[in-house]
Amino acid sequence: MTFLSPSALWLLAAALPIIVLYMLKMRRKPVRVSSTLLWTQLLLDREANAPWQKLRRNLLLLLQLLILAALVLAAARPAIRTPVVASGSVIGLLDASASMNAVDGNRSRFDEARQAVASLIDGMPSGSSMTLILVGTTPKVLAASESDKNALRAALAGATSTQGSADWQAAFALAAGAAHGSQGSVTVIVSDGGLPDSGLPALPGDVRYVPVGNLDNNIAITALALRPTAGAPELFAEVTNYSQADRTVLLSFYLGEQLLTAYQLKLAPREHKGLTLDQLPGASGVYKARISDPHGGALDALSLDDTAFAVYQASSARRVLLISKGNLFLEQLLASLPGIKPFKALANQAGSVQIPAEPFDLYVLDGVYEDGLTRGNLLMIDPPANPLFVVGEPFQQMSSVKVNPSDLTRYVDWGNIHVMQAESVKPPDWADVLVQADGGPLVFAGETLGRRIAAVTFDLRQSDLPLQVAYPILFSNLINYLVPPTPFDATQSLRPGGSLSIVPPSGIKQIAIVSPSGQAVSYTPGVGKLVYDGTAELGYYAVNFIANDGSTTADYFAVNLFDPSESDIRPRPGIQVGRTIINPTASRQVGERELWQWPAAVGLVLLLVEWQASHRKPLRLPSLRRKGSPSPT
Amino acid sequence: MLFDETTLRKLKQLTLVASRVRTGAIKGDRRSSRRGSSVEFADYRDYTPGDDLRRLDWNIYARLERPFIKMFEEEEDLAVYILLDGSRSMDWGEGEQHKFLYALRLCAGLGAIALASGDALSFALLQSGGIRAGFGPMRGEASLSRMFDVLEGLQPGGSTQLNESLHQFAVTPRRPGLVILISDLLSADQPELGLRPLLARGSEAAILHLLSPDELDPPLSGDLQLVDVETGAQQVVSLDGRLRTLYQDRVRSWIRDTRGECRKHGVGYVQFSTARPWDQLVLLELRRSGILK
Repeated sequence: MTFLSPSALWLLAAALPIIVLYMLKMRRKPVRVSSTLLWTQLLLDREANAPWQKLRRNLLLLLQLLILAALVLAAARPAIRTPVVASGSVIGLLDASASMNAVDGNRSRFDEARQAVASLIDGMPSGSSMTLILVGTTPKVLAASESDKNALRAALAGATSTQGSADWQAAFALAAGAAHGSQGSVTVIVSDGGLPDSGLPALPGDVRYVPVGNLDNNIAITALALRPTAGAPELFAEVTNYSQADRTVLLSFYLGEQLLTAYQLKLAPREHKGLTLDQLPGASGVYKARISDPHGGALDALSLDDTAFAVYQASSARRVLLISKGNLFLEQLLASLPGIKPFKALANQAGSVQIPAEPFDLYVLDGVYEDGLTRGNLLMIDPPANPLFVVGEPFQQMSSVKVNPSDLTRYVDWGNIHVMQAESVKPPDWADVLVQADGGPLVFAGETLGRRIAAVTFDLRQSDLPLQVAYPILFSNLINYLVPPTPFDATQSLRPGGSLSIVPPSGIKQIAIVSPSGQAVSYTPGVGKLVYDGTAELGYYAVNFIANDGSTTADYFAVNLFDPSESDIRPRPGIQVGRTIINPTASRQVGERELWQWPAAVGLVLLLVEWQASHRKPLRLPSLRRKGSPSPT
Repeated sequence: MLFDETTLRKLKQLTLVASRVRTGAIKGDRRSSRRGSSVEFADYRDYTPGDDLRRLDWNIYARLERPFIKMFEEEEDLAVYILLDGSRSMDWGEGEQHKFLYALRLCAGLGAIALASGDALSFALLQSGGIRAGFGPMRGEASLSRMFDVLEGLQPGGSTQLNESLHQFAVTPRRPGLVILISDLLSADQPELGLRPLLARGSEAAILHLLSPDELDPPLSGDLQLVDVETGAQQVVSLDGRLRTLYQDRVRSWIRDTRGECRKHGVGYVQFSTARPWDQLVLLELRRSGILK
């Protein structure tokens, strides 16, 4: 055993003031007696009057000295020499990918890996430091060049495994950065070997591999997808046997929690089988596929990939009705915009039109206005007199045109656009002017009485706007504002850690996203789309849109593993880094395992005992009483 | 007044006992083991030349033609010496349990018995290795009031040097008699050794060893600095239940050893606590121990 801080042993000298203070503290009450003769004889026999005898019998002082000894021993950092994997400047890469959740025996691979890193920390000789990197979906530096073992242990204790794939490229970049500038760095990879077979860059310094895990027993759902067809949607599932034995599994399909059907599949080693399921109900919802042991036992070592989800949304293209006396530019534009289902109603020369009774998501009024349109969003072009805003005389002053920056004018270049004449409109209070000319607004948009309304105050045919690039951009922005598309695409499932773009529909005051584990996150939608990347968990997420009137609609999206490199959990004998195959490393350096925790724990226990004893009197060591002698009073 | 008339009447019924009767200077109320000239016949012995012819039994001589001397029991007085330890350690205790007051009453009681029996009573106060006060010899009940006056005027003080005081007492020529030492014996001396010269001259001795209750079982605990009221000596002690038990054991063994030594030297020994009423001690305990009858 050695002491890493032997100078701390000088603190034992603190025992002297403790004893002195204690002896000074021994106040004796003077008491008159008729004679001290018998006492003197008695104490001479017992030597009980000797100070050291008194000290020996005093429990508090004894405890205090023991506490001091224990704490000084801890401060001196006793250590024993042990063989370790690495020392010096160590960079630890702790695999936290989904495959590390596999359970070999009675604990997960991640726990085993964490134990290995803990041993690495414990055995670090004095003067060594460690950079600890958790390699998950997004690698994270838990501790940077830290030589304090307590800090390293605390960082390690906070590490958790992920349910996604590990980004080893990014982790190696971090490791290379940590190794930069330090001489003789050692990178220790603690993993089950699920690294990419190629493409990882070489690392500076020495690289060592500490493997964890020993089972290959895993069967996974490697694909689950829904495809809309003319009739009911089709569901495709693929199951792969990554073990080295023939396996039979039960593949079950659910809509929500309702079992749809189940199949028994026989899989040879490394075989994968696909299955297409039609005749589905066709309802929007969350479909689930799950594999299980037909006999009800444990299926495999990794359960994360035994369940997969797919979300089906019935088509909901936006219906747009063009009311015009005839405008080829607008017809072609609406026909070319994605997600738009255009309809057309021709007005007569007087401007009157027969509007279909069925509702549309958007009405495009080109030079006309229909009083019967009391609901639905409006895009008004060359507007005539109407009750929504005041239309004045036409104007031609276009010497300076200003485009106000907004999401609706994003990427709109108005520099080459010429407008011959526009209607003079006083912009209403509820609208924002997007393009402003000398004589009045050219484009404005806003929301009133629960309707979104946009207006272009000139006839497209009296400008060269339809011939410019800004035309489809401006009208796409306006139409997407007036009739937002589907909030997000749920047809394709995400990988863990992936991001989802959500376009909030109009009239939404809050979006609440609930993860598979039930954790909810709320967002207040602003202008533009919302990017959600809290997809670390496998399963399906509910996206709740809470409207201004309090009503709630929910959409779903799924996050699945679908990663053969994670599902294939067989331990690898070695990993390839750069052009080198790294084989498992035996402990070949001498480290120091510190033992200060033990005397510190003993000191703490003694401190508690001393505290307890100091509140009780008398403070004497227990003594054996002679048989038959009277009890002390 | 150290005690009342009732107690005095009870005391007058008692007599101090000395197993080896010594010739008194005057006729007393007690029979001597020596044959003498009193009226009560005791025995005969052969005549030897020089015998008082008045004591020759002529009737026997006429019958047997051999001269026999008649022997009579002689009644004589007893010399009683009461020695009281007057050291400062005797100035201890509260109220009726005060050791010196208790000892004075004991002296007075024994003195009253002696005076009522016609014995020659002497008293000495032992202090600081000497004899600081005393009286006697006195005889007769007429001396009671004088004895009380002297006793009531005594005060404890000085140190305990028993053997030195006993030596001083012994060097003064005195009649052999009954020596009663009343003391707490809180001295390094062995009093039975100090009494040895008196014993050698034919006296008989008894030690009345008195201790207060708190000397037998001290009501103390904790970290203490004991101060000796007699010598001023200090002794630190951390007194707990175990040490108290050891102290009690020590006191018991001390009393046991002292009793053994006294028995070995032919000295009577009675140990008692001042918690016990003194008249009960005299009327019961001392009678039971054979000092009184």
